[in-house]
Amino acid sequence: MKFIRILLMMMVISLITSVVVVPVSAQTPYEAYTYNYYRDSVPLPAPYLPDRFVLGNDLGVGNFKDPNDMYVTEDGFIYILDSGNSRIVILDSDWKVIRIISTFDNAGSSDTFKNPGGIFVTEEKMIYVADTDNNRIIVLTNEGELVKIVEKPQSDILASNFTFNPSKVAVDKANRIFVVARGVYEGLMQFDEKGSFIGYVGTINVTQSFADKIWLRLATDAQRERMQLYIPTEFASVDIDAKGFVYSTNVDMNSETPIKRLNPSGQDVLKRFGYYPVMGDVRFRAFGNNSGPSKLTDIKVIGGGMYTVLDSYRGRLFTYNDEGDLLYAFGGRGTQLGLFNTPVAVEMVGDKLVVLDRGKNSIIVYTPTLFGNSVHSATSLHYDGNGADAVEQWREVLRMNSNYDFAYLGIGKSLLMEKKNKEAMEYFKLGIHRQYYTIAFKRYRREVMQEHFGTFMTTMLTLVIVFVSLRLVSRWRLRRNENRETRAL
Amino acid sequence: MKLEHYKFPFHVILHPFDGFWDMKYEGKGKARVALIILAIFVLNIVLQRQFAGFLVNFNDPRELNSLDDIQFTVLPFFLFCVANWSITTLMEGEGKFKEIVMVTGYALLPLALINLPLTFISRFMTMEETSFYYLLNSFAVIWFFYLLFVGIMTVHQYTATRTIVTLLLSVIAMGIVVFLGSLMISMGMQIYYFVLNIYRELIFRM
Repeated sequence: MKFIRILLMMMVISLITSVVVVPVSAQTPYEAYTYNYYRDSVPLPAPYLPDRFVLGNDLGVGNFKDPNDMYVTEDGFIYILDSGNSRIVILDSDWKVIRIISTFDNAGSSDTFKNPGGIFVTEEKMIYVADTDNNRIIVLTNEGELVKIVEKPQSDILASNFTFNPSKVAVDKANRIFVVARGVYEGLMQFDEKGSFIGYVGTINVTQSFADKIWLRLATDAQRERMQLYIPTEFASVDIDAKGFVYSTNVDMNSETPIKRLNPSGQDVLKRFGYYPVMGDVRFRAFGNNSGPSKLTDIKVIGGGMYTVLDSYRGRLFTYNDEGDLLYAFGGRGTQLGLFNTPVAVEMVGDKLVVLDRGKNSIIVYTPTLFGNSVHSATSLHYDGNGADAVEQWREVLRMNSNYDFAYLGIGKSLLMEKKNKEAMEYFKLGIHRQYYTIAFKRYRREVMQEHFGTFMTTMLTLVIVFVSLRLVSRWRLRRNENRETRAL
Repeated sequence: MKLEHYKFPFHVILHPFDGFWDMKYEGKGKARVALIILAIFVLNIVLQRQFAGFLVNFNDPRELNSLDDIQFTVLPFFLFCVANWSITTLMEGEGKFKEIVMVTGYALLPLALINLPLTFISRFMTMEETSFYYLLNSFAVIWFFYLLFVGIMTVHQYTATRTIVTLLLSVIAMGIVVFLGSLMISMGMQIYYFVLNIYRELIFRM
């Protein structure tokens, strides 16, 4: 009996110690990946590691309640739109609270927000808030003084029963305001700097699938009337890059272009030169659990031509370069640190990535890894036309991950620019890019031909001379034989 | 084998009506030559899939398998011959099985001739020039179908419409053969495992 008790004791002890000795390596709760040429999702080293999460209580301002949006300025000030508590929390880059704006003075009386949906801060530190349920956009100074209110626009092109529910807002350098409004299918609403309505930009085209068309053809008039209208989807978010181009996303299950980059005249000029459409996940289940394409609900331009989009459906972040190649994707849904419940906004604080999670009422902070940093700097260097330095960074990336197609492509492009055509060919072959390969190959072939033109022509000429003289000799011999024969006769 | 046996296929592909007639009634064709052509064709396919230029080679190198390539060319060849023979026997065709094999084999000669040089040239092509690659390839394929059509027509002494109908029926027959084959294999596997299980049961109990 005693022996058994000791044995049990030892088992318990060993169990406890084995629990304690868990490997303390930096593991991520998600797997980063990108898509290769063969449409496989290739695992990558994590580009970002989850660092910590920030709750309202940690900041000493009481917990957030259903925060809807967040904005970070270039110099690192963080603006959190705490919608459930109807306030804006302003932090500096060290996460110290500077100010809380919950009320503002509106013509002598104190006014508040009502379920605001979006926030944007200009370079002059003017705060633009899309005050959704109050049907207005509020412009405040950084101190919380009211500057102006943009109310429901008056225009002939708007229906009389139109209600103005702005949900997201962005402002360009000329102080034009771009608004995503609920129930507006015509595009982004554009206001001038005085707050008067100019018109729509970036209308989404409606696409009817082939099956839809057949159904429409077959349906009777009465059925057709009861059918759903084919209206485009609404926009989901907007951002503006340094050049004043508007980046927007919309949630459309049938579209391959949910991300748009609009030029000042409203045309979509996003480059889509990658292997696959710029739409988040390209491999997903068609039916059943966790099926369907990504729902891209926020976008952030992160410099160097790169932009990060947030998929709130599977809780993933996708970063693309300026040509539309998916650099990496990571994230997921769950309760661990680094996973999301209901992510609503993605921003950058310095080199750190921050994601606002409405479901967890917290902000998750990610620090870039060596791999992530190398990819970013290589991409930006290439974007700035600094080929030689980019190659060095790409080689560093390849040292960490030799399965990274874009690194081969990046090196190949730089080599092509330096006219090292033969080496470039090798790299384009590794990165599997036939368009670039053929350019490099054409140049290389011309080089080789020019180089060996002399030898080639000499050989040809010699062969021709030899051939002709052989013919002459044999003909001469023939004639001589004939002559001899005639003479012999 | 005489040299003329090797020369004859070239005569056939250039003068198909003449050539196939001679093959059937003058006994100029050789089944061995047809099989040699098939072997060259298979070799070409293997080389093409592996070594065609980067710009025209869309094969995933992780899935290249020469044994598969052989299997997927030789089996359809004989499958077609068997199917065509079964159909034409019922439809008053005059051709023997050996003649069908010879016709199909000789018809493959354009493909066997063009593929190998094309594979070599494709390595020196730019993107714009690859259209020549595809052009020549499809030219060879069309030639092959033309020869097959003429050959089957001559060997069975059919009219043109009848040849087309039998060729289409052969394709359907090929499908049926494959279906029955897989059915047999899966039933064979069932029986095998049934016997194996009984054997194991007995072993465990004894």
